[in-house]
Amino acid sequence: MSEPLTKTGNPPPSAPAAPPSAAPSGGPAPAGSGRGRLHRRLRRLLPAAGALILLALPFYAEAFWLRAGLFAMAAAIGAIGLNLLTGSTGQLSLGHSFFLAVGAYGYCLFAGDPDGTTTGWGLPPLLAMVLAVALAGVAGGLFSPIAGRLRGAYLGIATLALIFIGQHVLFNAKDLTGGFNGRPVPVLEFLGLSFDNEKTLVAGVPFTAVEKLWYLGLVLLAAGALFAVGVLKSRPGRAMNAIRDHRIAAGVMGIPVARYRGAVFVLSSMYAGLAGVLLALVFQRTVPGYFGISLALTYLAMIVIGGLGSVGGAVLGAAFVTLIPQILTRYSESLPLISAPGTGGVAPGEASELLYGAAVVAAVLFLPGGLVRLPLVLRMRRQARRRTKTS
Amino acid sequence: MSRIRRLPASAVAAATALALALTACSSKAEDDGGDNGSGGGDGASGELETGAGVTDTTITLGALTDMTGPYATLGASITQVQQMYVEEINGAGGICERELALEVRDHGYDPEKAISAYNELQPNVLAFPQFIGSPYVTAVKDQVDSTDMVPIVAQAWTASLLGSPYIQMVGATYDVETINAIDFLVSEHGLAEGDKIGQIYFEGDYGENALEGAEYAAEQLGMSVVGQMIKPTDEDMTAQVSALAQEGVSAIVISAGPRQAASIAGVAAAAGLNVPIIGNNSAFAPQLLATEAAPALLNNFYIAASTLPIGDEAAKDIADSYLAAYPDATLDNGVLAGYNAIEIITEAARLACDNGKLTREGLTEALRTMSGFPGLGVTHDFSDPANPSTLETVILKPDADAPGGMVVHREAAVSDIAGSFPRE
Repeated sequence: MSEPLTKTGNPPPSAPAAPPSAAPSGGPAPAGSGRGRLHRRLRRLLPAAGALILLALPFYAEAFWLRAGLFAMAAAIGAIGLNLLTGSTGQLSLGHSFFLAVGAYGYCLFAGDPDGTTTGWGLPPLLAMVLAVALAGVAGGLFSPIAGRLRGAYLGIATLALIFIGQHVLFNAKDLTGGFNGRPVPVLEFLGLSFDNEKTLVAGVPFTAVEKLWYLGLVLLAAGALFAVGVLKSRPGRAMNAIRDHRIAAGVMGIPVARYRGAVFVLSSMYAGLAGVLLALVFQRTVPGYFGISLALTYLAMIVIGGLGSVGGAVLGAAFVTLIPQILTRYSESLPLISAPGTGGVAPGEASELLYGAAVVAAVLFLPGGLVRLPLVLRMRRQARRRTKTS
Repeated sequence: MSRIRRLPASAVAAATALALALTACSSKAEDDGGDNGSGGGDGASGELETGAGVTDTTITLGALTDMTGPYATLGASITQVQQMYVEEINGAGGICERELALEVRDHGYDPEKAISAYNELQPNVLAFPQFIGSPYVTAVKDQVDSTDMVPIVAQAWTASLLGSPYIQMVGATYDVETINAIDFLVSEHGLAEGDKIGQIYFEGDYGENALEGAEYAAEQLGMSVVGQMIKPTDEDMTAQVSALAQEGVSAIVISAGPRQAASIAGVAAAAGLNVPIIGNNSAFAPQLLATEAAPALLNNFYIAASTLPIGDEAAKDIADSYLAAYPDATLDNGVLAGYNAIEIITEAARLACDNGKLTREGLTEALRTMSGFPGLGVTHDFSDPANPSTLETVILKPDADAPGGMVVHREAAVSDIAGSFPRE
């Protein structure tokens, strides 16, 4: 039990921000005997230790890691939403980044002050945050007549239109979005807390925006993950899975298929909206080019790599997809076989792209059920080895 | 059951206590030094005041580049020439008795990587002689102005970046450049009052800033601008050119990329629209002269820029040593842009060193005193951050035989209209 704690003592390279605290702990543990009790104990301790590490990180980790972790948390929230839609209900969406943009820009619009070039309503930031998430839900609701009727890949094609409309609006509705260079994101403030860059000393450690936002991110992610787990484990979750597995059978059993599809689409849009708000707060500026088709595909990659249909999978996938490029960019110069730019070999940037691609392919190839299956796969392999040994 | 329950509770309590105890010895805890604490070496180097990015042996500079995204060619040229420059300077004894070091991060034009990389390098560098991606420069602008105060040379020429005391652009902004381009069309191609100018421009700050300049010039000259906004992904310009032909334009201004320029020149020639075409400095790449559009480009196409072409005599030394260091590289104007940027930063560092203040603040102050800095073909004035470093523009023309594919057509000049362009 002191093992994970000693890790917190020497943080920088060995403790990247891994937020899988909300991950449900894999498959069933081998039952019986003293070994089994140890396992049970460990299973109870691990989440607690993980949560502790996450809570203590801002005191040790550099801002770079915290920022990377925040990107991962925001991505995790968005990926949970997409996983509810795609993984659990079987509806493909290529328009997820549009709803992220609605959340991000919605927050700027509601909380921002008008400054001559862009409009803003100047509402209290916390209210603006809630409204931005609601706005993303409304945008999803407007699309739900389509989302309710189309299934699978057809919905994917339809949602593609959202990206193009979104990009056009983001670039050209200058008084709302600030155009090409985006608009500044108002600082989040509530109850006397201000998530700005002003240094606040907490236990001798200077807290700037990333450290403060880290805790906000943890709270939002935990709440989002718990809510999604609740949805999936209850009646609506079973209905969603029934729709995914057999639409007609689900309809025969009395599940209102179109209404469920529409509702899940709205819920998933709201998750995306929340992710957008958190991302905007980390970026401190919204940039329209970010919310394009490649971001939507990145989100799909997250849930496929992490594991379709589970909240833990979405979180793991988001962490994997977000952190790997960051880490590779930072350490690319110290990788082997890398040559200085222009000398003809593989440049650091190219190497990190290649490695990222390889990691994605490896994850999909060797863990077809997603990263979330990793503990199960390892355990099965161990059992198989033990069986061959005893026989 | 109860046994199992009790255990985590006590474990959590113990762990919390341990965590709180560990917090006390966090390496992040403040040691009164603030931002520039780590790099400071005030005692050892006598009178010289130093700050972030400067140690007793090394001056670290940061480069935020794009070598895997849409500006990969530009990023590669700038990074390579800056690496070369750093080696040259170090070979000649360094600056302020210190070696230069260049920390490069390739963000691939991705906002997550760009913002992370800036924040990662920022505490440890004296200045950034390279920062590609004007949206990301804008994104960190507030942070730079309020807390970081790190001098940055941005590889962008858009007026929206003016006004920050720390963010510097080398050359005329796109609005000024376009005004000078139109002035050139008037004086050499006989455009007159009542004429229409067609402008094909990118959505975003580059194209829109150029459009502002064109509209101002047209208003002053009694002409009108017919605008055609395109996206960077649009490459076939047939529709735009025929729209301009129908309007009966007397000239075309291109505020877009090289691919669009090639398409415009080719389509215009094929459609018999025989009017002068002039592009902003980002609208040409030497590779274009190897395409089918080459004859059209060689015939009636000009480029407005704030620097001499790389093939000019004045840039020969740079071009030669660049090719010696990187034999396979293409010579383009990114090489000069990168060279100029790092030259200005090191020059300012030299001055700051002489003033006994090799800090970010000292560097910025030194930069403000550089009012007659000789660039290639134009003179730069860095004394006023609210104005571009120069209002001069050189007119270039493609030439298949010149290295870098361009030769000077008209020496650097400022038009009267560019001088009167209002800047708030």
